[in-house]
Amino acid sequence: MLRIVLQRLLVSVLRFATAALALLVLTEFAFGVLGGSDRHVWEATSYGPVPPELSPRPVSWAGLFEERVRRSLPVLLLCVPAIFLIGYSWGVLGARLRRFHGARVLAAPFALLACVPGFWFVVLVAIHSYFHWGRPGFANDLVVERGPDLLTWWHAAIVALPALVAGAGWQIRAVSDMLEKEMTGGYVRGLFLVGYSEEDIFYRNAFRRALPQLFAVSSGTLSSVAGSLVCVEYAFRYPGIGSLLIESAKGGSYGGIFLSALALAALISGGVLLSEIAAALIRPEGADG
Amino acid sequence: MNRRNSKLARGLVDAFLRLWHMRNLLLLVIPYFLLLGWLFVGGSRMDTRPAAVYEVPRQPAWEKPDAEHWFGTTGNGADLFELSRLAMANSVAAAVVSVSGGIALALLVAMLFVFDPGTRRFALLQAARRTGFLLPSMVVLVILTGGGGGSFGVVIFGFVLVIAFHLCPVLADWFQEGEKGFDVMAGYILGLSRREIVRNRVLPGVLHRLIGVFAVCVPVVVLAEMTLSFLGLTGDRLNCGAMIASGQGLLIEAPWMSIYPGVMATVVVLVLTLLGWGVSASLRTRLSASSLKHHGNRSEPFA
Repeated sequence: MLRIVLQRLLVSVLRFATAALALLVLTEFAFGVLGGSDRHVWEATSYGPVPPELSPRPVSWAGLFEERVRRSLPVLLLCVPAIFLIGYSWGVLGARLRRFHGARVLAAPFALLACVPGFWFVVLVAIHSYFHWGRPGFANDLVVERGPDLLTWWHAAIVALPALVAGAGWQIRAVSDMLEKEMTGGYVRGLFLVGYSEEDIFYRNAFRRALPQLFAVSSGTLSSVAGSLVCVEYAFRYPGIGSLLIESAKGGSYGGIFLSALALAALISGGVLLSEIAAALIRPEGADG
Repeated sequence: MNRRNSKLARGLVDAFLRLWHMRNLLLLVIPYFLLLGWLFVGGSRMDTRPAAVYEVPRQPAWEKPDAEHWFGTTGNGADLFELSRLAMANSVAAAVVSVSGGIALALLVAMLFVFDPGTRRFALLQAARRTGFLLPSMVVLVILTGGGGGSFGVVIFGFVLVIAFHLCPVLADWFQEGEKGFDVMAGYILGLSRREIVRNRVLPGVLHRLIGVFAVCVPVVVLAEMTLSFLGLTGDRLNCGAMIASGQGLLIEAPWMSIYPGVMATVVVLVLTLLGWGVSASLRTRLSASSLKHHGNRSEPFA
């Protein structure tokens, strides 16, 4: 087991390093070549202290990063487990009910809601809060002094919702597609002819065989969540990692761009690493990669 | 008496039968193009700037939505419905060009690998996909448009790059699937070259599926382009995203200025998405039907 973990860890580190290198090239290309900036990513002077547009009070890069991560964490904690819970359970159910187009029916509400621009949702929330509470947008100036800080979680839940909708729809379809494809395998016909029931074939054979691939699907989901986070946080003026990326890209702050993009890459990389270890551990002996 | 039909009559019957077999696909493709056509009708004011449209004069001349102006009017008295339509036309134009470019680039890159005789010919593309997941497309687009100034060319370039990057491994999978057919194996046994087999047997199937990819990708890119515009990264071009962002400041005085462009965007994206899925599913059904005709019934026994 240790060998597998170390092996996957090494691959994960190499991938992360490649992504970091690609990020450097992309930033230099975007700002230096397309934007005509005279600052370069390899010059230490291009980074400097935290610019005032990223934080009104003086703070170090580490302090800013910690602050932003602390704000993004509740959003991710609400969003990612919910996507996996809904995506895997409904995806498996959809594949089981494939005769009745189960996956399409179950994913339809999420897929249709995903067509609603997430940033427009902000406008609707703002109007709703104005007519109900007399203030458009978030109650950022309110501080909870007693009891659990439900206000923070409420804000995080609103931000997480558009990301959850898009991610869950994608996950349901990916999981059910994977299982439906597995059910077209030659061995399924053999088992059916031998006399196995459909339920036995689905849960005890096809599902088990597809488990490593089902774990692998999560990397795409995490990537889509990270992408959504970038837009939704900025739209809601929510000071998290995603909005740090937009503010930095607008202000041309290389430090902010690298911090936020690498934080998102690390999040995805961690998720991929866990899913790969899990997939490697449950893969039957002798099965090829 | 010679009862044989003329060549022309047979040709017409054949053409009719072909169209009849494609009726499901045509029923979806025609509304798709009708919608695109409707968006581009009367596009004489494509150079309208959102900053000018949403400028509020001292005495605003805006009107609430009514029977004459379905979406209301702006502070300058411009019809918001027409502006929203023009904005959507801008987004759809960008999406159509980007998706076409992205598909063409992905096909070109995949073709670099497909003629390689090695068994792991697509390994490099698959490895690139696994690494590419670490940098989400939106992050790449934000950096490119933020650094490059957000001109139309930069936005198109960014989308082409992102679409091609994600589509290449998918095309590789399709090529690999296409090579598993019995007819391909028979071709190898008969001594056909790899080039002939790929060109005549595998490539047509892949090209056929690209129409579905185009139909599915266009609404996704429209949504992403509007998002970039909302974030203020695509310059001063008329776009529903920019209109919603500008309208946010007038949420209390004139809420229709941010609500109705969003309604238009949602409806257009929804319709394009549903039609796109339909086109893609219809093409898949046609492909599997033709595949069954060639290889016999290989579907699962109780699907």
